[in-house]
Amino acid sequence: MIQTLLYGLTIGAILYFFAIGLSITFGTMQIINFAHAMVYALGVYFLITFMPLVRDFFPLATLLAIVAVVPVAYLMERFVIRRLYGESLDYAMIATYALLLIGTDVIKYVWGNTPQPVTDPIGISFQLAGIDVPVYRAVIVLMAVLVFAGLNLFFKKSIVGKIVVAALEDTEGVRCLGLNVDKYFSFVFILGSALAVLGGVLYAPISTAEPYMGHDILLIAFAVVIVGGMGNLTGTFVSAFLLGMVLAITGRYYSQAADTMVFAVMAAVLIFRRSDA
Amino acid sequence: MASSTPDIPIPRIAATKRTTIYRDMVLIAAGFLVLIPLLAMHRVTDFMIFCIFVMSFDLLYGYMGRLSFGQMLYLGTGVYVSTLFSLHFNPNPILSLMAGVAGGAIVAGILGLIVVGLEGASFALTNLAFNQVGFFLVGSAFQRVTHGEDGISAGVEPWGFLDFANESVAFGFVLLCLLFTFFMLRILTTSPFGILIRSIKENESRVKFLGYNTFFYKWLTFVLAGAVAALAGTLYTLYIGFVSPVFIHPLNNVEVIFAALIGGAGNLFGALIGGVLFMAMKDSLSSYIPQWEWILGILLLVIVFWLRGGVTGLIKTLYLKARMAKGEAKEVKKG
Repeated sequence: MIQTLLYGLTIGAILYFFAIGLSITFGTMQIINFAHAMVYALGVYFLITFMPLVRDFFPLATLLAIVAVVPVAYLMERFVIRRLYGESLDYAMIATYALLLIGTDVIKYVWGNTPQPVTDPIGISFQLAGIDVPVYRAVIVLMAVLVFAGLNLFFKKSIVGKIVVAALEDTEGVRCLGLNVDKYFSFVFILGSALAVLGGVLYAPISTAEPYMGHDILLIAFAVVIVGGMGNLTGTFVSAFLLGMVLAITGRYYSQAADTMVFAVMAAVLIFRRSDA
Repeated sequence: MASSTPDIPIPRIAATKRTTIYRDMVLIAAGFLVLIPLLAMHRVTDFMIFCIFVMSFDLLYGYMGRLSFGQMLYLGTGVYVSTLFSLHFNPNPILSLMAGVAGGAIVAGILGLIVVGLEGASFALTNLAFNQVGFFLVGSAFQRVTHGEDGISAGVEPWGFLDFANESVAFGFVLLCLLFTFFMLRILTTSPFGILIRSIKENESRVKFLGYNTFFYKWLTFVLAGAVAALAGTLYTLYIGFVSPVFIHPLNNVEVIFAALIGGAGNLFGALIGGVLFMAMKDSLSSYIPQWEWILGILLLVIVFWLRGGVTGLIKTLYLKARMAKGEAKEVKKG
């Protein structure tokens, strides 16, 4: 059982990394970003490419993968997403879906279709209450908490963060203050993409790298964002771990139903919330 | 009906006469008949079934402005309900068809209660999530009944002259279904009901202020769209006779979205043209290039940025431009 809970925490952490970018993008720009899944997978493939170059030193390869994705995210934001600000949501969804299609095919073209394993970079486990706990998973959970704390600090203390939070509340209002909101949105978009890459890279050793890896997590992450509230930073954190637990516990008893259970929780939240409003 | 609508000038679309609908139906039938010599007849039948599916999506998206990423669920429901019905209850094709359509409508009716209150992103994603659940149910949970990924053969048997192994009969039947769907949707979308759902697309709060129960109208449209999608699904069952979870796979939703957009959303002709164009493109591209989805992606971007009206929108703009040029020329002559 403790094993299951730990797995839930790990998945929750990964979901958090992935969903936070989606949540911020939606909260600030009103855009549902399907291309997030592409960035996520791309980061993992960059990691695989960089690993031999840095003598399999995982943290450095992770850093390089994140750095490598930044220009991709910037180009996407600059040339596709920025042109869709304030447009109808549908076109933004379709355009980012188009990016996902293109990106997935590029990944298939460059790295091939076959799943590629990534080895556990730490590979040691420690004993906790008589159960083997891989250090690596503990590190992932710890990092999620650190990122959450860091983001909170960033959004509460730094001026850029404050502007973004204000824009989450009222974009027009911030614009009226004479601030160039687009610049901050661009920054936040790249930040979200970088965190998605971090999530992908951290998750890769537990799963395998394959071109559609982003698609699988995307749906669950959408559920996380809907349950947590779009653009709600703390809500996303809580719901990521909650749904991670749902995944792990359902998966323990009936693995194929895990995803379905998440959507059931989401549907329940949606019904409940509407009667609330 | 007119008495219940407030006293506002009804747009010109409402005045579409029956005769124009018949004319359009003849045009459509002729169009598909012309396609037969260009492609094979069984391909055209395939195209027409897909066109029915595109029309169901267009009713939701083009007319009511609700983008769903889960319309495959209703297609898949039609496919599986009709297949299972033909296997376990009655091999009659018409009864299987009715069962499939009813199944799609019932599923849409139940899920619609949850989904229809949502808007924009939540609507799209919740539909996608339900689609995923349906895919799981068919592909994994009820594997004993559906044979999961392996798929099953439907048990539909010929009934009278209605033998779907005969290509021409299948073609004729599907064409009739398509024309029927077109006719019904045309009447529906030009009726006061159609104007209402179009108004919901433009501004739902105002429609509410006028005293309409928008939830009910949205739900009804959702159920209708589900039923039409299920009709397309049952036609696949009858025509292909072998079903697998491909027919309910959530990733295939992009196809119908794309088809509706390329043809021009909010326009039944657009749905038909888009359906044919998409299928033709898919056929030709996938036989030359194994990975052709990136082309779809690029075309989608082109549509989103430069060609919002799709092909029909483009034709309309060109036509208006030509007419304006003509009109100007006339005025110059007069002057």
